[in-house]
Amino acid sequence: MEGASTRGVLSHLSLLEVQARSRKTQPQQRSRVKELKAEAEALMIQRDKLKAEIQTHERLQKLRMSMDKQCPREQEEEEEMDEDSEDSQLLRLMARHTHLKDLLHAHHLIGGYDIIKTHQGKGVCVSVATSYEGVCLDTYNLEIDLKPKLRISRHNVPPFIPLNSLAEQSNMQTNIRAFLDTLSRHLNAFAGRKQQLKLLKEQHKSVEVMESNVLCSILVLMLTVPREKTAVLCTLDYTDHTRCLPTRVHFDCEDKELPDSPEWKKNCHLLMETPVHTALLTMKKMGNIV
Amino acid sequence: MERQHNSVVRTPLNSVVVQRRSKSKSYRQSYRSCLGAASRLGLTPALTARRLNTSRRAPKSHNITDKVDPEQLTLLLKTEWKLSYVTPLYQFRHTQLKSYSRQLSAFIAAEKQQGLAVDAEGSQSSFRVSFSVVQGMTETADDAETVLIQIHSKPMFAKQDDPQKLVWSGWLACINGNPDYLSSLSKDFICLPLFGSSGPEVLTTLVKSWFQQMFDCCFGPLEISHTSLQWLVALWTNCHTESNIQHLRMIWTLPVTPPLQITYTVDAQDAWELWSSVRKDPEEESEGGEEVEEGGSIDLKEVMRFMQGLKNHFYRHFRLDLSAGSLQQVSTALGSAKYSGRIKVSSDGKNCSQSFSQDTFLLTHTRKDKCCTNIFFLSF
Amino acid sequence: MDDSAKRLLQRFMRRIPTQMLKTTLEKWSRLTVAQQKSLDFTQSKWALTEALLDICEENKWTTKHISELEMIYVIDNPNQGMWHAFQLMDPEDDAHSVELTQFKEQFKSHLSELIRHVSVKIKKHTDEAVWIRIAWGDSYSRPNHLKPTYVVHYLQTPYVFVTSLTSKQKPLLSQALVLSTRHHAIKDANLSGKKFTAIRDLLMRQYQQAFPTKYPSPLKEKNQTVSNPLIEREQAGPAANRLQMACEAFGDGMLPQLQSAVYKLETKFRDQTNKTMTEREESFRCVVKFASTNLLESLRDCASSGIASTPVTPLLSSIPLKGRNYFVITDNSPGPSSQMHQKTDG
Repeated sequence: MEGASTRGVLSHLSLLEVQARSRKTQPQQRSRVKELKAEAEALMIQRDKLKAEIQTHERLQKLRMSMDKQCPREQEEEEEMDEDSEDSQLLRLMARHTHLKDLLHAHHLIGGYDIIKTHQGKGVCVSVATSYEGVCLDTYNLEIDLKPKLRISRHNVPPFIPLNSLAEQSNMQTNIRAFLDTLSRHLNAFAGRKQQLKLLKEQHKSVEVMESNVLCSILVLMLTVPREKTAVLCTLDYTDHTRCLPTRVHFDCEDKELPDSPEWKKNCHLLMETPVHTALLTMKKMGNIV
Repeated sequence: MERQHNSVVRTPLNSVVVQRRSKSKSYRQSYRSCLGAASRLGLTPALTARRLNTSRRAPKSHNITDKVDPEQLTLLLKTEWKLSYVTPLYQFRHTQLKSYSRQLSAFIAAEKQQGLAVDAEGSQSSFRVSFSVVQGMTETADDAETVLIQIHSKPMFAKQDDPQKLVWSGWLACINGNPDYLSSLSKDFICLPLFGSSGPEVLTTLVKSWFQQMFDCCFGPLEISHTSLQWLVALWTNCHTESNIQHLRMIWTLPVTPPLQITYTVDAQDAWELWSSVRKDPEEESEGGEEVEEGGSIDLKEVMRFMQGLKNHFYRHFRLDLSAGSLQQVSTALGSAKYSGRIKVSSDGKNCSQSFSQDTFLLTHTRKDKCCTNIFFLSF
Repeated sequence: MDDSAKRLLQRFMRRIPTQMLKTTLEKWSRLTVAQQKSLDFTQSKWALTEALLDICEENKWTTKHISELEMIYVIDNPNQGMWHAFQLMDPEDDAHSVELTQFKEQFKSHLSELIRHVSVKIKKHTDEAVWIRIAWGDSYSRPNHLKPTYVVHYLQTPYVFVTSLTSKQKPLLSQALVLSTRHHAIKDANLSGKKFTAIRDLLMRQYQQAFPTKYPSPLKEKNQTVSNPLIEREQAGPAANRLQMACEAFGDGMLPQLQSAVYKLETKFRDQTNKTMTEREESFRCVVKFASTNLLESLRDCASSGIASTPVTPLLSSIPLKGRNYFVITDNSPGPSSQMHQKTDG
């Protein structure tokens, strides 16, 4: 350490510093390599994962393609699958899932109507379902030719629904969705009125249906006031054929003052705003009719 | 053609002398000869041999009114006859008709008294049967003369002076019988293989059972095959230029549930034009080397081409194959024939002179007779 | 009781089967319980007729009452006579609000304006059908109740069904119908038949039609498995395909009992194997009639069994599609609207 005294403290110090620094970096470098190695490994795992994902996706895509192409022949497809592992089953489920999701999406896009291609794509068959108060009722179908222009070639819509004028009015050629919506409203309202009439006949034996028609757009009922046994003729007009509720309610009675009584004015409102069978139930509970 | 001058009716006697077979044997023999035939018509092969030819030639031309009394001919026209086949009649004699008339009358009366089916007819009292010969209703010398049977009756509540009404008629005939077959029969047998009847079924049954008892023969149903009906379609259409057929009507039945009946009625002129278009080219024919008189023969191939043409036109519109069904009935103004063995020949009336109108029944004027003869030809 | 009422009752008694007499009289509800009991339905028709005549005499009933009885019977047994369908055209704006009372009044008043002697009876049936019985007379004679015309109409629909109408009465009825249903015109619908219910169901679409829907409703699916397991097994086969097409063309299940269809063809004869006829200028004239106890079911069977090629030709599928059973077919020549133009086969 003689030299140190001759070269001075400072240089000694700097030497020490270098030494110390070098002592410090050595383990530092070692951990860096480790780090990099780990990172590479992670990346590799990620790559494999992605690869697998790509592969899965590709297979999914392939499955989907064949699923879209030959939907009705799924059995054959199953035979084609070489491996019967859990993976492939899962894959098939996934493919089915995406397929259904896409269909559902499309279904929403077209307004919720079931549409099926017919005649190798030259036409479609649209189903319009009807329901009332959560009960599924009749389904109506329309076969529509697509070319040269949209034309309803066959349908099972009853003749009292003015199908052709609805198609004209709502511009079926340019806006099929609007046409189907209008038609659906007409059909659902008709189904609803018909169902109400059915329920009315079932639930209210004491009410006599004097008149009705096939479109269920006119309803004349004979109601009886308890005690006095006065007969009240109640006419319900459903002028708006897209609605289940009447546009006009009218009472006829020998007692001319009865329709103007506050009780019966309330009944009138009730019948305007609630389905006829439930309105009658309320009226019965209130003691207005037998 | 030799005309019969005397009232004695000819019963053809053939030279071949065959000993009379025992009754049961002869019965079996005749029965077999009827049912053993290859044809579904249940006829003897001998008699049907010509029927199955693929080509038909116009029969010899002669005027039927020269041979057959027009009044008698009228009795055979415009009536729908239900056809049956009959096995040869044992010891039937054309000279005994008066006696047969009496016997059949008595037979019917007796059956009626036994309370048999005739009672169902109710309103009829006494039946008068008359047998007569329709002279000249033959084609060859070997053919036995046609016998006509008529049953008249007076309704139960009729007045005294009311005339008796014709309630049933029928006939037995042999036209164009096969000479070889006819000559092979014992002289005790008369061959009148075709039986036509028109009237209540109960009377038909009685007449048949009387014949069976009397002449040891038997009857069987006679269908008119699809091929025969197709021949008629062509033959009648072929007559159109000579005698207006008014329309060509064919009825098919298709084997679906429930059964579908298709009536296809073609305008007469259009049917005839289609028919001429499928006829053989005469030049083409002579190339074949065969000499054929003009319009003298009709080929089965032509008939089939005609039918195919009609079916094709139908298919083009309805995309429905008539070949899948069976032809049940054909008719024109000249007559009608049904698969069930019912046949009617109409006189063609209006457009023809009176003398002409009755010729339709059987062979006279070359063309026209072709179809009519063939009706009998086919059904034999 | 006058002579015509007597004759009407006698004719009615001849028409009605004895076993239906009792229920029909009950529906008529004009006989008292005692009168009803006095009738012995095991008696001969002749004796029953005499007994009824006596009762009618006693009550002084007239043709009005007897025709009521006849109407009840006809409504319950509509499949008699020949029914023709007509179609109302160009509805006015208020056509959909025509109701029964108004229609009754209007129809009666319009018809009696057109013809002096006419007797009209209108009755609403339980299925919303309006039944009209018309006994026609003319300016000199009283209405003839022995030959009444029956008309059936469902309000708010374009269809009218008519039986026993003469060509002389047709314009009168047409005008009264057009005015009282608030339409501008009426035309022959080219559909006729003996079974009223069949032509009604066909036009009102009251039968099961088949559509190419891939997913049948749960209810339908259930029925199918019960009724026809064979079909499902063969779903992929050409037979099933034919059946599907046959059902799409003619309908599913029980079909309206239409009994015949007639086509008058005036089209060119085209056949590659027949040059002469194909080159012919004139059309080939023929009439084709299809007949069956149930024509639509027969045709469906034709198509599903392969006797008729599928897809079914528009000529045949037009029967249910257009609700017609009479067609005149020509080769694309301009003509009246009742003609159906033939498509040229490609």
